[in-house]
Amino acid sequence: MTIEQETGEAVATPAGIEEQLVSYLEERTKARVTPDQDLFRSGVVSSMFAMELIVYLEKEYQVSIAGGDLKLDNFRSVAAMTSLLLRLRGSSDAVGDA
Amino acid sequence: MRSAMPDLTAEDRAFVDSLVGDQPAGWDVAGELPDDVLRKLGTRGLLCAQVPTAHGGIGASSRSNGEFTAHVGSLCSSLRSVMTSQGMAAWTVQKLGDSAQRAAHLRRLTGGQLAAVCFSEPAAGSDLAAMGTTIRRVGDSVVVDGHKKWATAAAYADLLVVFGRYEDGAAAVVVPTSAPGVRVERVIDPLGCRAAGHAHVRLDDVRLPADSLLGGVAQGLPLLVTTALAYGRFSVAWGCVGILRACRTAAAEHASTRQQFGRPIAEHQLVARHLAELYIAEQTASRVCEHASDCWDAGSPEVVVATVLAKHVAAGNAARGAGSAVQVLASAAATDGHVVARAYRDAKLMEIIEGSSEICQLILAEHATSVR
Repeated sequence: MTIEQETGEAVATPAGIEEQLVSYLEERTKARVTPDQDLFRSGVVSSMFAMELIVYLEKEYQVSIAGGDLKLDNFRSVAAMTSLLLRLRGSSDAVGDA
Repeated sequence: MRSAMPDLTAEDRAFVDSLVGDQPAGWDVAGELPDDVLRKLGTRGLLCAQVPTAHGGIGASSRSNGEFTAHVGSLCSSLRSVMTSQGMAAWTVQKLGDSAQRAAHLRRLTGGQLAAVCFSEPAAGSDLAAMGTTIRRVGDSVVVDGHKKWATAAAYADLLVVFGRYEDGAAAVVVPTSAPGVRVERVIDPLGCRAAGHAHVRLDDVRLPADSLLGGVAQGLPLLVTTALAYGRFSVAWGCVGILRACRTAAAEHASTRQQFGRPIAEHQLVARHLAELYIAEQTASRVCEHASDCWDAGSPEVVVATVLAKHVAAGNAARGAGSAVQVLASAAATDGHVVARAYRDAKLMEIIEGSSEICQLILAEHATSVR
């Protein structure tokens, strides 16, 4: 199944995902966020908020983020999260049985 | 066979009730839970009821497992603590492990084997960044060295989930307690949950197959610990609801029957206030726990802060509520083993473990400033 079939909308493109993530983060943190910004270094995201972000990504994009994918670098920026999501959505195996 | 609908049933409660009976007082005084009780509950999947059916679990929702946890907590907080440890170990494997590790370990945890999770160290309590336990890759093995403290249920455990430093980050490793170099030393006379099998664990050059390392890569310590604690906090919170139910029931029963100055003491206004406060404590703790579980089941990001809130509210309410219950029952509850005496000691520990009340407050304060 392709990404387009699963979500049906423009959100499934890298640019669409990035845009949606930026708007979620800005809404939640009341701070300006750019796709390449280091969210941890700039203090936008704490480890508690990182957990929140993981639950959000799992629900919103119908993926399961587990095992080695939980590493902090995958959530360091909007760009990193976007590539993680595209990878997880690309391989149905990665959705797994978590 | 279980029914096709995966969730906890009235039969599961009855099964626990029949195994537990009137024994918790004796377990508290002896400081020991019978091994066969734990194995029977474990084999039925009840110690970690949220494990998916694909891995041999019951696949319970958080809400259903929460209610069940409260029920066990109302009977015996030591037994509930063992459930918390087992559930936290299972959740950690489920989140941090790869699919082969999930398949291997979750089957054990729903098959009668018992597990504990090791976070705290002599110099690393709330400040887990000070953790000194190391996990090293040596050829086809990983080697674990460290000293863990106050691991709940470790005295009964077959498997330990041990957190430590690994490469440039951290990792969790599954350690059989039978592995050479593992020494489990029971905590003598803990203040509360006396039969929960608290132990200190020494890991001295413990050599394990490389696939013991959950997920196989170094990760960030705060995220690892926060992931594991998410389940622990939720379970402790529901356990505190159970403590409050037991206290409210005992206090109401006593105050309705005990006569002083010619009438039941429940009719004395100062005693009635204790009963009202116990009821309020129980009800508010129940509502915040239900909310946290509903967030968990709905996959809502709010689950993270809702779980911390539930743990904080429920533990504080339980500690205060148990104090009120002792006051109402007075000498009737002033011996070890009594349900209210146990609650008084057990609830105090709940304000300390899985993120102290102060740590919870710091997290909630950070949240309050971030959502303004």
